[in-house]
Amino acid sequence: MIDVQHINCSYGKKVILGDLSFIIADGTFTAILGANGCGKTTLLRCIAGLLSPQQGTVNIDGKAIGTFNARQRAQKIALVQQHPQTDIEFSAFETVLMGRNPYQRHLQNESQEDWNIVEQAMKKTNTWHLRLSLPSQMSGGELQRVMIARALAQQTPYLLLDEPTSNLDIAHQFEIMELLSDINRKENKTILIVVHDLNLALRYCPETLLLNDHSLLFQGSTSEALTPEKIKTAFGVHAEICDCYLRFDAKSL
Amino acid sequence: MVSAMLAILLVAAMLVCSTVGVVHFDRTSLMQSPIFWNLRLPRVVLSVLVGAALSICGATYQSVFRNPLTDPYVLGISSGASLGAAIAIVLGLEAYLWGVGSIALLTALLTILLIFKIAATGNRMHTTTLLLTGVCLTFLITAIISLLMAMHQDKMESIIFWTMGSFASASWMDVWIVLPVTLVGLAVVLYHSKDLNLLLTGSETAQSLGVEVEKVRRRLLLFTTLMVAFSVSACGVIGFVGLVVPHCIRLVCGADNRRIIPYSIFVGGIFLLLCDTLARTIIPPNELPVGSITSLLGAPMFIYLLYKSKRKL
Repeated sequence: MIDVQHINCSYGKKVILGDLSFIIADGTFTAILGANGCGKTTLLRCIAGLLSPQQGTVNIDGKAIGTFNARQRAQKIALVQQHPQTDIEFSAFETVLMGRNPYQRHLQNESQEDWNIVEQAMKKTNTWHLRLSLPSQMSGGELQRVMIARALAQQTPYLLLDEPTSNLDIAHQFEIMELLSDINRKENKTILIVVHDLNLALRYCPETLLLNDHSLLFQGSTSEALTPEKIKTAFGVHAEICDCYLRFDAKSL
Repeated sequence: MVSAMLAILLVAAMLVCSTVGVVHFDRTSLMQSPIFWNLRLPRVVLSVLVGAALSICGATYQSVFRNPLTDPYVLGISSGASLGAAIAIVLGLEAYLWGVGSIALLTALLTILLIFKIAATGNRMHTTTLLLTGVCLTFLITAIISLLMAMHQDKMESIIFWTMGSFASASWMDVWIVLPVTLVGLAVVLYHSKDLNLLLTGSETAQSLGVEVEKVRRRLLLFTTLMVAFSVSACGVIGFVGLVVPHCIRLVCGADNRRIIPYSIFVGGIFLLLCDTLARTIIPPNELPVGSITSLLGAPMFIYLLYKSKRKL
C-alpha cells in the first residue's frame, strides 16, 4: 500500500504539490492524469524516494520512504523514467541485468538466478532478441521496453512509470499498455503511471488520480474521473465522452 | 583470468625494466648494487604505483561525471599541485626532504576543494560547471606559473621539468608516502566498480536501482583526489595516462567498469613503467620528461584504437 499524507513540495518559492493525500491499494493499476506542470512527475519522484517533500509523509507498506536505504527502496519500488539514456554503451542485456543490483553485494557477480530473471523479464517485454543491441541502435519503443524489462527484473511489488508512451506511435503505445495491464493482472503488481493520453488511460487503467492546480481533484475509477466537467477543470478544454473513437484491436497487433 | 595475466605481465615488466639502464650489470652484481636497490627499484615501483593510480582515477572520474574527457588533469588537481611545486622551487625548498612534494600536495588539495566549492549547489554537483571551473583554474594557474618562471629564470628549468613530470628523483621515501594512499584508494574504487556502471546511467536511475548516489560519489571523489594529489606531489604532472588508459581498455573490452577498473591498475602501471624506462634510456645519460613520452606514445595509440573502433561500427 502506498500511503501519501499531506505532502507539500516546492522548488524555491514555486509550489509544485500542495497538501496532497491519497492511498493506493495493492494490486491496482492507476493513471496519474493532469495538465503539464501540475506536479505529476514530482509526485512520482516523491513516491520513489528520489525527492523528499518539505512536509508530509509517504509510507510504503506502513514504513516511511525516508527510512529505507537505497537498496531496500530499490527492492520495493521500480521506476521507469521519462527519457531513457541513449548515450551509454551497455547492451540491452547488461542494462536489464542492472535491475538485479539491489539484490547483489559489492564485488559479487550475477548468479544463475539473476540471469534467469533477466531472461524472463526480457522475453516478457519482447526484447530478448535485442539483448546484444546498444541503446543507440534501438528505436524509442524498443528502448522503452528494455527500461520496463529492467524495472521488472527488480522484482518489486510497486512499479512507477513516467510517461512511458510519449514519443511512441499508436501501435507501440498499445503494446506497452497491454504489457503493463498484463503484468498488473497476472503478477498482481501495483502500477502507477503518468500518462497524457486520456483515451489510453480510459482504456487500460481502472483507477485514476486526477491532479489539478498542484492538488488532488479526484481519485477513483477512470470512467468517473473523465467527465466533461472534470476535464474542463483539470485541462481547461471542452470534452465530450463518446463511443465513436476509432476502434483499434490491440490484440491483432 | 585476464587480471591474473596482466598481473604476471606487470611483474615481468618490472623485472625487465629494473635491469636495463645506463649502467649495465650481470646477474650477480645487480643484486648487490646500490644503484639497483636504491635508485632503480624505487623508481620502478613508484612509476607503477602512479600509473595505476592515475589510470584508475581517470576511469572513476569518467564514470562519476559521465563525461569521457574527464581526467585528473582536466579537473585541475594536477595544475594545483604544479602551482605549489613552482612556489616551493622558487622559495628554494628543493633542498629539504619532501619540501616540494608537501607544498604540491597541499595546493592540489586546496585547488580541488576550491573547485568543488565553486561547482556545488546545495549538496549536488553540476558536472559541466565542475569541468569548466577545473579548466578555468588550470588556465589561471598555468599563467601564474609562467609569471613565476619569467621572474625567476634561474629556476625555470626545474619548474619546467616538474610540470612535465619525472621519476628521476624517486626514492623509497616517495614510495612509502604514495603507497598507503594508493592501495587504500584502489581498494575503495574496486569495491565500488559496479556502482560506477550504474552511475553511468544517470544519478537518478542509479539511485532508484539501489545506489546511495551522493554517498558513493563523495567517497570516490575523496579517495581519487587523494591518490592524484599524492602521485603528482611525488613525481610532477604526468598527463594523458588518466585519460587514455581507461579509454583504450574501454575500446577493447567494453564499458563494464568491473573490467575497466582492475585492468586499468595493471595496464596503467605497465604503461607508465615502460614510458619511464624509455625516458631514462633513450638518449643516455640524459633524462627525458616522462610526461612527453606518455603523450608521444599514448596519443597515436589512442587515435589508432579510436579509428579502428569507428570502422567496426
